[in-house]
Amino acid sequence: MRRVAALGALLAAVSLCACGGSRDGKLALALNWKPEPEFGGLYEALRTGAFASRGLPVEVTGGPGAPVVQMVESGQVAFGVAAADEVVLARDRGTDVVAVFATYQTNPQGIMVHAARKLSSLADLFAAGGTLAVEPGLPYVKWLEKRFDLSRMKIVPYGYSIAPFLLDPMLAQQVFITAEPIQARRQGADPQVFLIADSGFDPYAAVYITSGKQLREEPARVAAFAAALRDGWRGYLDDPAPANAKMGELNREMDAETFRLAAAAQQPLVETDFAKQHGLGAMSLDRWSELGRQLRELGLVDHEPDAASCFADTGALAGGASRP
Amino acid sequence: MIRRRLDLVAPPLATFAATTLLAELAIRAMRVSPLLLPAPSAVARAAWTQSALLLPAFASTTRCTLVGLAASALLGILAAIGLASSRLVERAFYPYAIFFQIVPIVAVAPLLVIWFGYGPRAVVAAAFIVSVFPVIANTLAGLRSVDPALRDLFRLYGAGPWARLVKLELPWALPFVLTGLRVAAGLAVIGAIVGEFVGGGGLGVVVLGAMREQRTDLVFAAVGYASLLGLSLFALVNLASRLALRRWHASEEGG
Repeated sequence: MRRVAALGALLAAVSLCACGGSRDGKLALALNWKPEPEFGGLYEALRTGAFASRGLPVEVTGGPGAPVVQMVESGQVAFGVAAADEVVLARDRGTDVVAVFATYQTNPQGIMVHAARKLSSLADLFAAGGTLAVEPGLPYVKWLEKRFDLSRMKIVPYGYSIAPFLLDPMLAQQVFITAEPIQARRQGADPQVFLIADSGFDPYAAVYITSGKQLREEPARVAAFAAALRDGWRGYLDDPAPANAKMGELNREMDAETFRLAAAAQQPLVETDFAKQHGLGAMSLDRWSELGRQLRELGLVDHEPDAASCFADTGALAGGASRP
Repeated sequence: MIRRRLDLVAPPLATFAATTLLAELAIRAMRVSPLLLPAPSAVARAAWTQSALLLPAFASTTRCTLVGLAASALLGILAAIGLASSRLVERAFYPYAIFFQIVPIVAVAPLLVIWFGYGPRAVVAAAFIVSVFPVIANTLAGLRSVDPALRDLFRLYGAGPWARLVKLELPWALPFVLTGLRVAAGLAVIGAIVGEFVGGGGLGVVVLGAMREQRTDLVFAAVGYASLLGLSLFALVNLASRLALRRWHASEEGG
């Protein structure tokens, strides 16, 4: 139902676009989902005062269905969370938003199947057939269609409920590795997940974005924001419990055990070798170039984007080092 | 006659042309981002260039809407006849008929997929659920409002319940039924599109995909097609109403 809400929220954004990003001196940050471990470092930074100590009065807003890119572009919020492919798409449509921090170095999206089917890869699944529940318009579905032969799959929309998966042994569905598989296992299913990233399509995910205008006018503020997030994530990876407790108060639908499992599941996707070397949240020009090329090949953008303008080097790579 | 037709069609067309032109000029002048609000010309372009995507989707949504609306008409009228049969029945069941009006379709839509499976059946069910209540409510009001003098007349001549229903109550209720259908027609389109959000196919999936791809122009183009469907159904009901009522009912006389 994320999309349904998005339609309404889009209209709201249109009518509100005159508002500024720093209402009452606050720095608004729009999330695209409920408080869950994918925002762990953010809540840790809020909890420990990493933003406040840098003079950033960050205030979280948004949620499922929020049209984050539109809100950031219109200046309604100063920062937002989106996916890397959304950034490239938005820039192609003439929207000047820029990525400043990438939570997931490896994309956490995948396809979940029942382990009882004894499949060993995405190729295996698409050869076997069955139903595939995915959100219409997902770039990675276009990628899968191009990379594999999906003619044996019956493709249906994903409605953010795993009930159809639990009921149908032949159903495969899109997942965030930190969410649905944990839910399914706790409800008695035996799920298995194939990451999309392993098939060669690997956009950064849970990416913090800002407008090009803010980046040009307030580069120090943007750099401080990214630095605070980096501190927050360092803290969260070392001990997710305090931030999980805080998010649990805001998101009662998810219990403490699920928070714990999700935080553990995402750890290797956040702290990759690249992140260890260049800093949490850092991004590389090569990855953005490749994403732009792939989206161009899929026909989702009209022109291959200028990869360097899609993201900002906010200091993780500073100190004389050139961009990786 | 032609003059009259013109009088009928010209005002709404003029409003449409003026609003479209005004929107186009305003959006261009204010340089609104196409992601927030595309200009009408951009929407028209998307409707044209993406017709290979939109037309089959439109056809699919149309089919599901029509089946859902037909089911609403049939079952809604039958339900109203049942409810009108006695005050006791009405009291016992009418509160549950209201359920159809208040059910938040967006919330139950995912369940429809579980009950009916993915595909047109879930879509038709959604269109039916949101469009049946206006038919029931209006038909019931019509059946209840039969002139008591005429009722007495039928009783006086010893007419049975069947004759009374077919010759008096249903004709009497017909204008009410048609009003119910006018409301139901628009709702059925909404229901079908929400059904498609979860059940798949049609304009609903085009809207979801276009949202995800940040093609706001395509979203509006799909919404335009949905409006076209709603308007066509409304016109169809109006035509039926004219044909059925023009000989005898004040609401359509003089046409």
